[in-house]
Amino acid sequence: MNNDIPLSWFLIFASATFCIGLLGVLVRRNAIAVLMAIEIMLNAANINFLAFWRYGTPTPGDGPITGVMMAIFVITIAAAEVAVGIGLILLCYRRWKAADVDRYDSLAG
Amino acid sequence: MSQAFVNREFWFLAPEIFLTVWGLLVLIADFGPLRDVPAARRNRVLGMMSLAGAVITLFIGYMALMESVEMFGTEVFKPLALNLTQADYSLFSGTLAADSSTAFLNLVVVALLAMVIGISMSWNFTEHVGEYYSLLLWTAVAMMFLIAAEELLTLFLTLETMTLGLYMMAALEKSKRRSAEAGLKYFVYGSVSSALFLFGLSLIYGLTGTTTLAGIQAALSLGGSFGLQSNIAGATAFLLVMVGLGFKIAAVPFHQWAPDTYEGAPAPVTAWIAAGSKIASFVAMMKILLNALPSWSSGSPVGLAAENFSTPGWIGVVAVVSAVTMTYGNFAALAQKNFKRMLAYSSIAHAGYMLVGVLAAAVSIKKGQAAGAVLFYLVVYGFSTVGALAVAAWMARDKGTDEISDLNGLGRTSPMLAVCIVLLMLSLIGMPPLGGFFGKLYMFMEAMNSGERGRLTLQWLVMLGLFNSVVSAFYYVRVLKAMFLRPSEGEPLKPAASGVTWAIVISTLVAVGFGLYPEPLVETMRSSALPMLTSGSRITTNRDYDAERLKDYQKQRSEKIRDLREQLRKKDAGPAMAPPAKPGEGNLSSR
Repeated sequence: MNNDIPLSWFLIFASATFCIGLLGVLVRRNAIAVLMAIEIMLNAANINFLAFWRYGTPTPGDGPITGVMMAIFVITIAAAEVAVGIGLILLCYRRWKAADVDRYDSLAG
Repeated sequence: MSQAFVNREFWFLAPEIFLTVWGLLVLIADFGPLRDVPAARRNRVLGMMSLAGAVITLFIGYMALMESVEMFGTEVFKPLALNLTQADYSLFSGTLAADSSTAFLNLVVVALLAMVIGISMSWNFTEHVGEYYSLLLWTAVAMMFLIAAEELLTLFLTLETMTLGLYMMAALEKSKRRSAEAGLKYFVYGSVSSALFLFGLSLIYGLTGTTTLAGIQAALSLGGSFGLQSNIAGATAFLLVMVGLGFKIAAVPFHQWAPDTYEGAPAPVTAWIAAGSKIASFVAMMKILLNALPSWSSGSPVGLAAENFSTPGWIGVVAVVSAVTMTYGNFAALAQKNFKRMLAYSSIAHAGYMLVGVLAAAVSIKKGQAAGAVLFYLVVYGFSTVGALAVAAWMARDKGTDEISDLNGLGRTSPMLAVCIVLLMLSLIGMPPLGGFFGKLYMFMEAMNSGERGRLTLQWLVMLGLFNSVVSAFYYVRVLKAMFLRPSEGEPLKPAASGVTWAIVISTLVAVGFGLYPEPLVETMRSSALPMLTSGSRITTNRDYDAERLKDYQKQRSEKIRDLREQLRKKDAGPAMAPPAKPGEGNLSSR
């Protein structure tokens, strides 16, 4: 693995991706854009899992591909989350005729 | 692998398997034979069907509990044998715990589920009846797995399964605008926090190279990384994980979703979020903090000198979160006029109290005792909250709103239920002869007795907790004032539906019963908590298990228990053996 890309590059990439996602959640007001930003954050965690798996030595007693399994299951979860999220956004869009998360403010206090 | 062993393994998973299949049957019944039936009737039929499923699951869960008691001796109900419970048992290469503690908590979750189903049947709030009940059953399954999870992937999967179901259920009351808003807000806050949580988990995986809680604990303590000072990766990982967990238990500053979701969601869903999901998430939180990450709790490894305590670790962070949570929750609740919103803030405040117990478990030498006190509090709180939210369902059916003023004059129209509600509110305040009082008492006592480490912090927190209990009295008493001192305006509430009545009565019985006689439950919880926090010594099934070893282990175990019994018998004329505690079980199964 001497000529490989060092682990830190992956981690920097993952952190940057994660920050982009977090920034997107905080800054964007469109519900769909917020959903996309959340997906970016989940994928940043996936990059971490895969990088740590690739560069780490598996702990004896654990399976050999823990990191990969994590990533596969997280992809599945992310898909389910999008399905639920789009459903909820559609429901709100039909009521408010807007996809802007700041507009949904009938509950407050 | 012997046949008997496979049967045992099946027994441990039987409640979950049964509920999953039953949920599918409910869905099939809704889409098949009941397709053209009006929603109100479908609600009754499918509700009865789900209730039957929950009651059968209670029986199966009880048998699983008995199986685990048979397997590991009778320690669940015998505190004196506590030190024998170190080793226990797990399924699927150590990803799921299967012992008497999970079996017992499964019973609690299913009993709460049955009450929530009863509340849901009281009025028809959604067209999507089949989806609603099957989601309810499946989220219960996810909660049971979350309680049992011993590994990060399992934990994340079950946490997500649970919350994804709850997002949808919160938005199911389609005739109301606020329900959709509640669902979306819950979803946005929830999925952001689970993304942060997952990133934290990925860092923990990177630091330790493993995803099992016991493996993480071993790797961290072997690596000698204590506390979080000059441990930037560890501090980041912990803070991210804390955001995720703090969201699930509704701790300040991750609580913003809770008031809106509690108010907007239909009352039974609110009850389910407030009770079931909180219990499961708190257990998961205690497992992560106390089982996987004890090395980061403070600067010194457990048992060393107190002067090292000043080195920062997660104890400080959790202490601040706890203090802010209970204070904010109580003071914000003072200003509320909506009943469900008030209960949301009160639920935030209760999360703050329970974090004191978690801290006590972190610094105390008697970890099991302190964690058991938190579990006791969780059970009592869970039942009381479901009972209180049953009242909200009652109001929603008759008035369509859930303001506190809608309760005006209830003391005259339904005096019996009003008295039950009084008892529930007093238990939530923490009045002496009731369950809520003993919950607080055990937890705060553990915090005061936790030894030198962190005593100062915990003493301050306990004082703050007591002060907050006094503050909380003001808003709970407002409910009592409305019921008894104010005349009713407009239409009085019609007599409550039987599901609501049952939920209120059962939760009152739990609050009063465990107040007058708290010993069985608290001892059970104490002995349950210990295996939860010491998964390192589990017997895993697939790799290092063999039937012979288990047999030897059981033999040694029964000999030890026999010896202990002998000793006890010599000491005095037989110790009082606490009867098995099954909150709500008897009442429900007799229906």
